[in-house]
Amino acid sequence: MEGLGRAFTAFPAIQRVAFAGLVAYRAEMIIWVLSATLPLVMLALWNAAAAGGPVGDYGQVEFARYFTVNLVVRQITGAWIVWELNWAIRKGELSPRLLRPMNPLVFNFAETMAALPFRSMVVVPLVAALLLWRPEIAFRPGVPALLAFVPSVALAFACAWLTQAIFGMFAFWFEQSMGFWTAYFALWSLCGGYFVPLDLFPEGFVGAVKLLPFYATLGAPIDVLLGRAGIETVGLQVAWLLALAALARLCWSRGIRRYGAVGA
Amino acid sequence: MLRVPLALARVAVMAAMQYRASFLAEMAVGVLAAAGVAAPLFLVYAHVPAVAGWSFEEALLVTAFFLAYNAFVAGIIEPNLGAVVDGVRVGQLDYMLIRPVDAQLLLSFQKVAPAAAWELLASLAVGGVALSRLGPPTPMHALAALAMLGSGVAATYGLWLLVTCTSFWFVRVDNLRFLLGAITDAGRWPIGVYSGWVRIALTTVVPVALVTSYPAMALLGRLDLELALGSVAVAAASLIVSRLVLLRALAHYTSASS
Repeated sequence: MEGLGRAFTAFPAIQRVAFAGLVAYRAEMIIWVLSATLPLVMLALWNAAAAGGPVGDYGQVEFARYFTVNLVVRQITGAWIVWELNWAIRKGELSPRLLRPMNPLVFNFAETMAALPFRSMVVVPLVAALLLWRPEIAFRPGVPALLAFVPSVALAFACAWLTQAIFGMFAFWFEQSMGFWTAYFALWSLCGGYFVPLDLFPEGFVGAVKLLPFYATLGAPIDVLLGRAGIETVGLQVAWLLALAALARLCWSRGIRRYGAVGA
Repeated sequence: MLRVPLALARVAVMAAMQYRASFLAEMAVGVLAAAGVAAPLFLVYAHVPAVAGWSFEEALLVTAFFLAYNAFVAGIIEPNLGAVVDGVRVGQLDYMLIRPVDAQLLLSFQKVAPAAAWELLASLAVGGVALSRLGPPTPMHALAALAMLGSGVAATYGLWLLVTCTSFWFVRVDNLRFLLGAITDAGRWPIGVYSGWVRIALTTVVPVALVTSYPAMALLGRLDLELALGSVAVAAASLIVSRLVLLRALAHYTSASS
């Protein structure tokens, strides 16, 4: 990443352009964000399951709290590079982007970050509706939890983006590479804490499933904010970040050579 | 009378079977998707014996119908109505409208995405497992379930057609279809899980519960006449309204060349 220094100076400009682009298509963006309501569907199931008494140490309020934070973290850590890379590689649209004086991946990362303020704004009405439905879910996280949450959610953002980038780069080698992403997404939904708090997994599996990369991209920051996980979880996220970054770099350097060899 | 639909179906399957490798790759994805829908149920019922009065096997029946609904959307709705949206944008809809067959029939059932067959098979497997543990339904209940399935499919088809029709006025509606897909995801659980206005919405405005929960309730002998008639009424209203809107939309359509 020799161009990283240069990328750093260009960051503000990219962000301004990307943000303007988002605002231009705001209706579309709002619909995309509203489509991420699966945590609410999951909440409905768990809420009904906890009607007769708490499930594990989750009562109805804890479930509502868990899936509200889930919704917000998912929104903040959202990326779309897997679709963009897949499309750009297969259609040859990657070629003009390679001519720019900046790595296309870094460019997309800046764009993804630029979407952050907008994405967090759109989720406000959803959270407000949830608060209206169940006011008890409002809570004040402790200072240590809050201090750990900030790096944890930032790490989740980076890990989620890197994972998508890696799956996107599979298009260098496979024609139907989006199938891999669908498979990963199905596993991630279950093992990342998207569908269910991981503490409710069968007892022997809880510790093991939290070591997997899925947890680092979603469940970890949720548990950290709710005071259910500590700083060691953030440490695990750092380890995954390093591993994913190394893998992404390897895929890029190998893939880009192959891309050139195809004759594009 | 049936000659045109049958011919359409034959051509659709032939066109899709040209891509065999892709067809097989999509199989794995279909099976995973089915597992993803059922997995949360396994976890919930590991902790509690019943949710909103539904046992595990009963909830699996709803899952089976939900997978069948997904197969219907992915196999028939998406390829056809998605093409209408594109057709309006680039003007290719003209080629469909000049054919001497009812436009709605052609727009809705011209193509099939055979990869959805895997989800349909998964649906049958899940339903089979659930029924083998619950015991077979009486013929009356089975017939009622089939009727409810038909009525539910009609109700949701009308809604999808309605959303597609908006593309005649607003050009970018791909995302609106995406949003509808996300909302109908709520149909994967028994309707008893929802309460208040959400339940009402899922049986009327976005009637996905009619195609997932109602047939399951009919199979279990829990559906009373009132609910069954309600389902048929919603289906009829959905079909009539969407037909009328489509006719208006086609009258409003100004083709590529004019």
